[in-house]
Amino acid sequence: MTPPRPPRIPEPALEGATADGQSTNLPAGLTHEDLIRSRDRFRVHSARQSHRRWYLLWLLVGPGILAMLGENDGPSMISYATSGATYGLGFFLPFILITFVMAIVCQEMCMRVGAVTHRGYGQLVLERFGKLWGWFAAGDLVVTNLVTLIAEFVSIRVGLAYFHLSAGVAALLGLVLVLFTLSGGRYWRWERIVLGMAIFNGLFLVAAIMVGPNWGSVGHAVVTFSPFPGGSVNTLLLLIASTIGATVTPWMIFFQQSASADKGMTPDDLRHGRYDTIAGGILAALFGCGALIAGAALATRGGASIQGLAGAGFPGALGAVSGKAVATVFALGLIEAGAVAVLTISASTGYAVGECVGAPHSLNSSARGAALFYGANVGAAALAGAIILIPGAPLLSIALNANVLATVLLPVALVFMIMLANDRELMGRWANGAALNWVAIGIVVFISVCGAAYAIDSFLQTIHVL
Amino acid sequence: MTDREREELVMYLERDQLVSDKGRPVPRARLSRRVSVGLWALRVFAVVVSAMVVYTFIAQL
Repeated sequence: MTPPRPPRIPEPALEGATADGQSTNLPAGLTHEDLIRSRDRFRVHSARQSHRRWYLLWLLVGPGILAMLGENDGPSMISYATSGATYGLGFFLPFILITFVMAIVCQEMCMRVGAVTHRGYGQLVLERFGKLWGWFAAGDLVVTNLVTLIAEFVSIRVGLAYFHLSAGVAALLGLVLVLFTLSGGRYWRWERIVLGMAIFNGLFLVAAIMVGPNWGSVGHAVVTFSPFPGGSVNTLLLLIASTIGATVTPWMIFFQQSASADKGMTPDDLRHGRYDTIAGGILAALFGCGALIAGAALATRGGASIQGLAGAGFPGALGAVSGKAVATVFALGLIEAGAVAVLTISASTGYAVGECVGAPHSLNSSARGAALFYGANVGAAALAGAIILIPGAPLLSIALNANVLATVLLPVALVFMIMLANDRELMGRWANGAALNWVAIGIVVFISVCGAAYAIDSFLQTIHVL
Repeated sequence: MTDREREELVMYLERDQLVSDKGRPVPRARLSRRVSVGLWALRVFAVVVSAMVVYTFIAQL
């Protein structure tokens, strides 16, 4: 039996609220951002009161799926496809699944801290541990985000090149998308547009089905982790570090915590926040495995060296062995992966800069009310877009190294996240339990070892010690 | 605007979700010497390893 609906609760009015948050009609201390968030919370409250479960889920999903599918970005998909092209089906297929389990554990903590404290990661690190650590965290993020954003534009460029469109079109497309999604001055609008785009990450799964893999081999690889990759140890370490950097990264930590706070999530929403994070992890793992399976078509039909693929581009190489349709789907997937990540990563840059400077930092604010937040958001994307216009840039190398850099800087960000999630003064009864802490510490150690192994091995080879 | 109208306006927000409250800093945590040393060691590790990655990337160009 359907439960009776309670009387309709009046929706908070927006009259008197100006976009810059400085209205004289508003009571002292209230801003436009407060009113918009209050309206969003009204809808959640109303859905919960009237037991509309699916509607409530629809209202509360977003940050988790966006963080996970945003990280299924251009460099990640190129990295997965490169693993497939280099080693075929085998070790890397289940390894991707494991890295997404790690991502779910880390991202759940981010969501929980954001929902309980209503503050972003950068702000909490800065206030709780001091300015030095806060600025270190923001500095790491800005560097890795800039490199990753360049790689996202590279991904859009590689995808568009398949349709004979130039690098200028790629740069322009990314920038126009950033400006368009930011134009509403509302978190909800931004989130729904980016979610709508992120669904097309599923194109990689379509590409995998279209190449007609041997599903028995796929199942065997997932269960047995075999065949284990042979050949160059350095290439293997690069792809392991790159695959980790393709699933858990510093920007995701900043983004999901800040977005959860900006969305207005509260401890009452933690269960739905977990659904959101797990659903995002499952979708991203499926689509990531799709990219690897599609890339594996290159390994079984002649193969291609990693750098060889940089010139031709993955879509072109796939087109030669699997047909034009697969290549088209893969190229569209790369454009989508790059575009969604440009939006989420530039947003995380805006959050980090705003939080560390102490300036307004919400998608519920207008451009005038949060000029620094919007400026950092658009500026990061514009700078990265300009860099890909430089002729002769080593595209695939940038894409793979962006993930590796994220991997080596991740342990610091994760340790602060674990400390915040354990902080009983901030988190109260929602702090981490002992079992989760052991898992989280294990993840930090594993990521540190993998990142350091590649860095040290490559460095020693470069200076001719090995 | 009356107090009641103001209350209705923000009744769906928790108190510390208001922008004015979010701007109030949380108290600084006290880090033990062991934790501080650990954090600095991790920071040095991250900088050294990042430098190796960047050097290798540039050398391979």
